[in-house]
Amino acid sequence: MLKIENLHASIDGKKILKGINLEIGTGEVHAIMGPNGSGKSTLSNVIAGRDGYEITAGSVTYNGKDLLEMSPEERAWEGVFLAFQYPVEIPGVNNVYLLKAGVNAKRKHMGLPELDAMDFMKIIKEKAALVDLDQSFLSRGVNEGFSGGEKKRNEIFQMAVLEPALAILDETDSGLDIDALRIVANGVNKLRSPERSIVMVTHYQRLLDYIEPDFVHVLADGKVLKSGDKSLALELEDRGYDWVRDEVTA
Amino acid sequence: MTQVVESVRQQARDVFESIGLPGKRDEDWKYSDLSRMQTVLGENWQQTTEAAGIDVDSVEQAAIPALDAYRIVFVNGHFQSAGSTMPDGVNLLPLKSLLQQQPELAADLLTPHPDAPLYNGLNALNSATAADGLSLCVADHVQLDKPLYVLHLAQADAAGKTAAMRHGLMLGDCAEATVIEHFVGLDEEPGLTSVVNYSHLKQGSSLKHYRIQQESMKQFHIGRIDVRQAADSSYKLHSVELGCALSRADIVVRLEGPGAACELNGLFVSSGRQHVDHHTRIDHVSPHCSSRENYRSVLDGRSRAVFNGKIVVHEGAIKTDSAQSNANLLLSKNAEIDTKPELEIYNDDVKCAHGATVGQLDENQLFYLKTRGLSEEEARQVLTFAFADEVLTGIDSTAVRRFIEHAAFVKLPNLTDLEGLLG
Repeated sequence: MLKIENLHASIDGKKILKGINLEIGTGEVHAIMGPNGSGKSTLSNVIAGRDGYEITAGSVTYNGKDLLEMSPEERAWEGVFLAFQYPVEIPGVNNVYLLKAGVNAKRKHMGLPELDAMDFMKIIKEKAALVDLDQSFLSRGVNEGFSGGEKKRNEIFQMAVLEPALAILDETDSGLDIDALRIVANGVNKLRSPERSIVMVTHYQRLLDYIEPDFVHVLADGKVLKSGDKSLALELEDRGYDWVRDEVTA
Repeated sequence: MTQVVESVRQQARDVFESIGLPGKRDEDWKYSDLSRMQTVLGENWQQTTEAAGIDVDSVEQAAIPALDAYRIVFVNGHFQSAGSTMPDGVNLLPLKSLLQQQPELAADLLTPHPDAPLYNGLNALNSATAADGLSLCVADHVQLDKPLYVLHLAQADAAGKTAAMRHGLMLGDCAEATVIEHFVGLDEEPGLTSVVNYSHLKQGSSLKHYRIQQESMKQFHIGRIDVRQAADSSYKLHSVELGCALSRADIVVRLEGPGAACELNGLFVSSGRQHVDHHTRIDHVSPHCSSRENYRSVLDGRSRAVFNGKIVVHEGAIKTDSAQSNANLLLSKNAEIDTKPELEIYNDDVKCAHGATVGQLDENQLFYLKTRGLSEEEARQVLTFAFADEVLTGIDSTAVRRFIEHAAFVKLPNLTDLEGLLG
């Protein structure tokens, strides 16, 4: 589904990613862990297509296509979704409008007819229940006045509605109390499917107690230093990140 | 015409003779040039037109749809009964009738006030020539049960090019009213609309005032709003500028009694070579008063906007609470905004905040919308609309708000799903 080869990226001349190699298969759940400043968020942003990053080497192939050549919206239409670490507040644009515009743009791209308002609202209500999102949130401005936890739930709700093939969850656990974390994790688990790949980018192991990954990667200094299964995450929790660095440089 | 009125008219002509039209030498007019108006309107531009009636169908077509209100129609500055519905039990008269029936009151309304802040020669000309307008008195403790919708229609007229109107509004103690002023151009002929509006709010009264300027792109509009507020009164203005080659409004509010509150909201949506200029002045004369100002503009093409917000906190006006904000979105590199807050504070115990921003759309918001599948263009349109719409959130009449949103929307680059956006 997604193949990242020797990816180098910098921002304002500063090298952040220094040769990432990663392959995500269809239906797999990957966790990318790493200390602050390791390049985790840069990787998420580069995959989603945010401006301001310079790709100096390497490639990202998505379903056989060059992902880096696509605009952010084309990536969305092709099934890429980014759950933001810091979801953006957009007063004056309501949630339902955003999702309807997003879903219909994707359907148009796929050659499907637009959903009518009734069918769309039915889907919206179903999906809102997945993350326990009160219906009153739907008609409010996007993330406007939402608490930290509500914003993260809204991200997963959007993911549920947009039904991506590849979802990148950027620090979705940050700033959540344990109840909110459980709700968000439950939502993600319900969205796991053999057709959908999920990449969780996180600093902490605790999210992985709730969403069990198939693979765990350690990112540090702009490179994937080590990959393994979920037991690697437990080891990181016990021993911190430094031993991985030491092991690699040894 | 009675003696008393003629003497006020003469007084106004004298004021105009002495101060003339505002020009570049006036600090308050340095960005707004009236020479284009004089050129376009040609000789005898001061002449007031005679009313040429407009059929009810055309009135209906121009009016805000689905608005439950008393409607007062003016055509080129003259009251027209066809299409108008007057409220019962309220003291409401067209100025033309007032001039005949109560000339002293009419003369009082027409009196020039050359010492008032932001006073200019066009205000004096308005005193000298205004043929019609409205005089409304709402008695103590009376709430006008429906909004008063003042629909002003402008169309080409052989008799002259200027429609000058003067409105006077008096709200008694604890009285309440909503007034919607709507200016519509019915054709593309150049002309001048001159409106002077005096409101006097007695203790505890409340006025909601909507002003929607939607005249043709060849018209000129010079407006003046004077508001005097007694203790605990509330004045809330939403002023929307969409049409005209040049539109200028001077808005002057005096908070004269403790606890008075005013709110001035403004939205400019300009394109082409349009020029819009609001000068506002709020005088905090009394303690414990609050003022809020929120102005936004969306400027495209080579349009230019001016916002000047002056707030004067007088000696003794302690516990003044004032906030002013002016945000501007430039859609084109040739558009221009000149924004200037002016604070004059003559005591210590006050809270005054102000801020002005000029910019483009927020890159984070754009990126967020695109990751959800909106195209670059759609994301820009949606954010532009949301930016403008923020000023309208305080409008509690859905019909008015929807009307403004649609009228503003047609001036923005095409949106595909406005109804969805409005939710």
